[in-house]
Parts: sequence; C-alpha cells; structure tokens
Amino acid sequence: MNISVENVSKAFRTTFVVRDLSFTIEPGQILGLLGPNGAGKTTTLRMILDILRPDEGKINFDGKQINRNVRNRIGYLPEERGIYQKYKVIDVLLYLGRLKNLSRRMSHVEAVRHLDRFDMIEYLEQPVSNLSKGLQQKLQLLISLLHNPDIIILDEPFWGLDPFNQQVIREKIKALRNEGKTILLSTHQLSEAEALCDYFVLIDHGEDVLRGSLEEIRKNFRENIIIVESPQNLKALQELPDLQKIVLEDSRALLYVDENAPVDLLLKEIVSSVNITRFELSKPSLNDIFLKIIKNSKS
Amino acid sequence: MKKFFIITLWEFFRHFKSRSFLLATFVSPVLLALIILVPTLFLDNPTSEQPRIIGCMEFDSSNVCPEIQKRFIELKENTQNKSVLQLVPIKPDTSLFLQRRFLKVASLKTELDSLNDSYNQIKERRKYIFQKPKTRSREQLLKQTYEELIRTRESRDLTQLEYEKTKTESDSIWRREMIYKADNMLRDNLLEGYLLIDPQEFYGGVVEFHSLLPSNFLQIEAVRQAVQVVIVEARMKQDNIRVDKIQEWLSPVQLREIQLHGEDKQEFDFMITYLGPIIVVLFLFISIFTSSGFLFSGVLQEKTNRVIEVLLSSVNHYQLIAGKIFGLGILGIFQIFIWFLFTGVLIVFNVLKPSEIGFLTLRNAGLFVTYFILGYLFFASIFVGIGSLFSNEEDAHNLNQFMRMLSIFPIVLAVLVLETPNSLLVRILSFIPPLTPTFMILRTPLGNPPAIDFYISIGIMVVSIIISVFFAGKLFKVGSLLYGKKPSLREIFSLMFSR
Repeated sequence: MNISVENVSKAFRTTFVVRDLSFTIEPGQILGLLGPNGAGKTTTLRMILDILRPDEGKINFDGKQINRNVRNRIGYLPEERGIYQKYKVIDVLLYLGRLKNLSRRMSHVEAVRHLDRFDMIEYLEQPVSNLSKGLQQKLQLLISLLHNPDIIILDEPFWGLDPFNQQVIREKIKALRNEGKTILLSTHQLSEAEALCDYFVLIDHGEDVLRGSLEEIRKNFRENIIIVESPQNLKALQELPDLQKIVLEDSRALLYVDENAPVDLLLKEIVSSVNITRFELSKPSLNDIFLKIIKNSKS
Repeated sequence: MKKFFIITLWEFFRHFKSRSFLLATFVSPVLLALIILVPTLFLDNPTSEQPRIIGCMEFDSSNVCPEIQKRFIELKENTQNKSVLQLVPIKPDTSLFLQRRFLKVASLKTELDSLNDSYNQIKERRKYIFQKPKTRSREQLLKQTYEELIRTRESRDLTQLEYEKTKTESDSIWRREMIYKADNMLRDNLLEGYLLIDPQEFYGGVVEFHSLLPSNFLQIEAVRQAVQVVIVEARMKQDNIRVDKIQEWLSPVQLREIQLHGEDKQEFDFMITYLGPIIVVLFLFISIFTSSGFLFSGVLQEKTNRVIEVLLSSVNHYQLIAGKIFGLGILGIFQIFIWFLFTGVLIVFNVLKPSEIGFLTLRNAGLFVTYFILGYLFFASIFVGIGSLFSNEEDAHNLNQFMRMLSIFPIVLAVLVLETPNSLLVRILSFIPPLTPTFMILRTPLGNPPAIDFYISIGIMVVSIIISVFFAGKLFKVGSLLYGKKPSLREIFSLMFSR
C-alpha cells in the first residue's frame, strides 16, 4: 500500500506548522522524514494517521482516503514512548491487537508469535513494569507490528536504545522493508536514517527544503570535504585557492571545496605547505548537508 | 462500535481489578460508616460513659435543689432522655473562721430574739397597767415601764443593726467561699458544672450555671427544663392554683411524630429519615468520584506515556472517550450493585432491619441510579476534558484537588435540603447541574418533591451533559495531543470555542 501526501498544509491559528508538503512512499521503501525540532514532522505523521485533519491538500493510501480498513493496516510507534506499566504484557498486546481489528484468538496467536520473534516470550505473563527500558522499547515496536500492518510509521525508533538494541531494531526495520512494507521513519539520528532510508524528505518550519535519495542529495549538494591531518600548525592552509571554508581542529583541518575543485593541484599545494600524515577526500554526510541547509534556512 | 466495546471492557476490567477500586468499594464505605455511626453508638449507649455530675448549690435553706433534682430525675424517666448527666445538691464545707462568724450571728440572733421578747413583754405589761384605775402608783409604774421599754427598744434596735451587719457580712463571705470551693470542685473534675440558686433571683426566673467546658453549656437542656418546672410550680402556688393538679398539668408531653410518605404514614425516625439518605448520597458521591477519578488519571496517564497516540491511531476521539466513559460508568453501577447486595446481606443476617432502609423503595432506588448516571456523565465529561489538557500528574494535581473540593460543595450545601427540602431556594439550587444529583437524591426521601421537579432536573441534566460532552470532546481532541507547558484558563476557553 503506498502513501501519497499531496500539497498538505496545517496551521494552528495563524501559524503554519506544515505548508504545501508533498511526497510519496511506495511499498518496500523506507522514507526518512527529517527536520529539526518544531519542523512539523510529528504533525505530518498525525495527519497521515488521521489523528489530525489537514487544512488543505490530501493524503491517499493506494489512491483512497483513509478509512477504517486503512487505519487497521497502519502500525504506529510514537516518539517518547511509555506503556501501561501495571498490566501483563499479554493483556496489553491483546487489547491493542483487538483495537487493530484482530480477533481475540488472532491477537493471542500474533502476540505469542511476535514475542517469540523478538526473543521476549518469557515475559508473556509478566507486568510491563518488570521489563527493562530496552525491552519496553522492543515491546512497543512489537505492538506497532502486531497486526502485520502494510504501513509502518516510526517516530524516533532508536530513541533511548543502547547500541545493541539499536542494531536489533535496525535489522527488524530492514527485514520489514524486504517484506514489502511501506515505512515512514522520522528521526533525529541522521546516521541511522542514512543507513536505512531509501528516500529523504527534509522539512524545516513545515516546508520541504530538501528531498531525494542519498545519492541525489549528495549530487545536488555540490561540495567536497578534504580532511588533512598533520603534527604541524595547519593555519597555513587558510591561503589555499578554491577554498570555501576551513575548520581547524587540533591536528586536523576540514577543507570545504567546490565539487569541481582540482583535488590533485590542491594536494600538491598542501604537501608543499605542511607535512601531512593523512589526506582524505570525503563526500559530505547527511548530517553535514542537514546542518548546512538548516543553517542557510535560518540565516 | 466493536472497538467502542473493546475499550469499554478494557476500562472496566483494568480498573475493576485495581487496588483503588477495592479500596473505594469496600474500605471507604466501611470507614465512612464508622465515622458516621461510631459517635451515634456512643450517644445510644450512656453506660459507655462515666456519669457526669451537675451540682446544685443554694444560698439558703429553701430546699430548691432537692426539688430540682426530683424533677430532673422524673423528666429523664418520662422522656427516656439518654443523658448521662446527674443532678446532685451540693453544700461545700465552711471554714472555721466562717463557722465562728455564724456562731456570732446565731448568738446575736438569740440576743435579738430575747430583746424582742422582753420588749413585747414590757408592752404587754404596760397594757395591763394602763387598764388599772388611774392612781398615782399606776402613773408611777407607767413611767417606769416606759423608760424600760425605750431602753429595751434601743437595745433591740442596736442588736438588730449589729445582727444584720454581721449576717450580711457573713453571708457575703459565705457566698464567696462557697463559689470558690465549688469552682475548685470544677477544676478538680469532681463536677461538670453547678447551678447557683440565689433565692432573691430564683423566683424571678434567674439561675446561674457555672462550668469550665464549653460543651457542657450545650448539654444542660434537661437541667434547664427541670429548673423551669420548679419555678413554674412555685409561681402557681403563689397564685393559689390547686397544688394537687400542678403535678398532673406539668407531666411531660409525648409528641408522636408521624411523617407522610405519599399515601403511607410512618413514625418519624432520625436514623431512617435523615441519616439513611445522607449515607446514600455519600456512597453515590464516592461512586461518581471513584469512576471520574479513574477517568481523569487514566487519560492523564495515557497522555503522559503517549499510549493515547497509539490508541488514536486505531480509533477516533469520540470512540475513545465514549468507550472510557461508558466502561467506567458500568464500573460505577457495578459498585452500587455491590453495595445493594451488601445491604441485602446485612438484612439477611439481621444486622440491618428492613424498616431502617424504608426510604430505599424500588422507585427511590431507580431515581438514585438515574441521578447517579446523570451525575457521573456530567462530572466524567468535565474530568476527561480537563484531564486531557495536562501532560503530567504534577500539573494536573492542583486542578484535580480543586475539582474535588468543588465537588464537595453540593454535600456542604445539602444542609439546606435537610432543613427545608422543598423551599424555593432548594428547588432553584436543585436545577443547577453540579448540585442536581446530590440535591435530588436527598430531596426524594426527605421532601417527596413534586413530579415536575424530577422532569425539570432530569431535562436540565441531559442538556448539561450534551453541552459538557461536546466541550469535553473538543478539549480532548486538541488537548490529548498537546505537550509542554500547561494551558492557561484563557487558552482552555479558546480551545473550547474554536471551530
């Protein structure tokens, strides 16, 4: 099931939270919805979930507007999560499974199956409060997947997880993509997004400021970074030609140059100025691009 | 609809199994019953208290105190007054100094009496002499006795003055000494208080009562009645009214209090008429606020841990609110059912007599449940709307406290219903939605209100519920997704009236 967000806008009183936003997610694809705090990510997710109604534009699922059946095909993991602490894991799963239109029996079967897949079957009869924070995070992801949804919306899925559990969740998300699920991922952790998403939409102040696959974004972001390390003072490198910006850090310098800058000539200039121990030509990371765009947008 | 029932069942069972529900259903009513009944048990059982002695002290020997004591005992017996008060005449011992003074007064009195006798004898003798033929010796005797009479009268007058002065002084010292000693008996807890009878003021209807504890002044009605009887008797005697009839005329009146219940009549009983409905109101109050409280904290908790977003991705706002309100409403009715059942058990085991819950007729029970449902829906919608505006317990705590205080207000005002259940003021207050359930539940057995009052109050409640549910829905829709700072009152109104 694909999701098509078309020219969607939402304002609270006179302030636009989302303005004229459009994107499409296809089955088997992970779309990363990125943006700083207050960019309008959560509002966009809530509009897709029909918790909020857009003021303008439309959101379709396989060409149709949201209805009871579509709602039952969506799995949602909200940001800053918690769960009913006093109740048994199985009771919580049965309740939330039934709200996703599973029969009582199917809820039970799926609960047991998913707990087993997530290596949590021993916690079936235990109260949620007995689970560690990491296990509770896994349980919440499990809840969003309990009814085998076609669309999975994950808001900050790696929030608060240790590296081991981050890896577990990452693998689960990848497996879901391979199963042909339509996945919308909203996260601040750009390194995770870079590793997982097929397509990115960067929004700021509710507006779409950058979109595309990682390759497309990098291609459009016409900048290379040369990393130079030396035991000597690197201030001399400030005089290099074609230099857009230089960042000096102890024994390291980051030289931002135009994508078409002659790297071989630059290397000769650098070697003639200082003794170098490392020279690396690097493509900018999503994080670098993200920060630069947000900075430009603010200025 | 299916999801609505799933939410209803979840809310019912998750709170039904909670410790708070068990406490509210079984422990709170027992505590409440103890708070109400324990003091009445003590009132009913005077033997559980030591007798409390009221002294009676008089400044002469007219024996008013024994008379008051006699009347007090009679009144106690005739009116079945369960007071633990006992009235006892007291006469504190006099000091040696005062005893000497009294001896002096007695001696002066004897002297005075003797002089009076002498004076009268001289007068008699002179009368006798005067009747004799007019002779020289008679004149001589008259002159002699005249001088003797003058001397004796002078002596008698002087003694009279001395006697009165000494007696007044002694009486004054004696009164002060008696009061001082009686006050000491109060301080030593030998007496709860004492009546001070001054014969000069007593027949004018003035008696003093001295006590240390303020509470004693509230409990001497029976003593006051006994004094009243003795004074009235004395006045009747003065007016030459037949003494043998006084006793009969003053025999206490027994007022049989018969209350009309629709077509039936029944002897008035404080326990049944007043205490019963108050207990019912308090129980319904517990039930309404247990369920509304669960709703408030449930919404707040789900919002704090963001479960609400997961729920709203599965059901819409109205299904969610309706399911919660309905589920907890059933829990409230179930709680009332448990109490009805428990009342039945108490009747079966003869702990409670059926006559003691005579007000709980089928009609009244139906009205109680109706007003419970209306009251619950009204308060629940307000609680759910406001609960959804806060994102942590700390912010919501003050408001929750305030709401609870506000909800106690109808109970406080209920005194008005107890006094005049069908007055214009009470009728008007019964039509103000937050007060309606409490007032109508109290008025039903106490005032047997006209049918029109039921129609109007139920109509007003239904309209109020529609309005409160509408606004609660609007608040919940926006409020359940609001995080961050707590909203101001202005923002809450703005949300309520925004389109």
